[in-house]
Amino acid sequence: MAVTVHVTSVIQQVVNGQREFSADGETVGELIANVEDSYPGFASRVMDEDGEIRRFVNVYLNDEDVRYLGGKDTALKDGDTVSFLPALAGGAA
Amino acid sequence: MPRISQAIVDEMVAHAREDLPDEACGMLHARGGEVTAAHRIRNVAASPYRYEMDPLQMLKLERGREESGETLFAIYHSHVASKAYPSPTDVRMAFFPPGELDQEPMFPGTYYILVSLEHEEADVRAYLITRGGEITEEPIEVV
Repeated sequence: MAVTVHVTSVIQQVVNGQREFSADGETVGELIANVEDSYPGFASRVMDEDGEIRRFVNVYLNDEDVRYLGGKDTALKDGDTVSFLPALAGGAA
Repeated sequence: MPRISQAIVDEMVAHAREDLPDEACGMLHARGGEVTAAHRIRNVAASPYRYEMDPLQMLKLERGREESGETLFAIYHSHVASKAYPSPTDVRMAFFPPGELDQEPMFPGTYYILVSLEHEEADVRAYLITRGGEITEEPIEVV
């Protein structure tokens, strides 16, 4: 499946500064592995040591959080947009 | 020095008060250094001690900036019972992965604005957080 990958902020650094590019994958996990092949370092930015999506990385399939779909196993179809964005958080405590 | 209109400062303070007891958060957009708007963002942490911006709203605002040519001028949030100064959590979370202080911050050159409701009169201050976790106040010029 050919999808558009959209990355924001510091994740752009590991994909040569691009905001958007095309990549293939049947699932979100496969897409991450394929992007990693082209841009080594990408997977470790978005996944933790256990191979799960990092707590402070949000992955959206079009306008939906993949955590509430199928996580890494979420199926992709042609023309989808998958966005990777770091959490923006903080606070007094 | 960040130049911000009184109306935008008032809007951030109004947002902070409306979201009590929880922290409020949002973004200021700018064009050519002039602040164009304050955008309220839902605090999905819904906590008096924490904020986490709704990622979908962030994504939509970013798309808006790409279309309009605006830039991300500032990230604001409130401290409901402490001073207008970045907390250790604020500093840690300015980096990615969180706490990697020897990297460039996530948003280099973007101001972090703190709205303190600790006292009756709100205190609004802007900072730059840079590599090493260094905090520099950048006095706001209200225009």
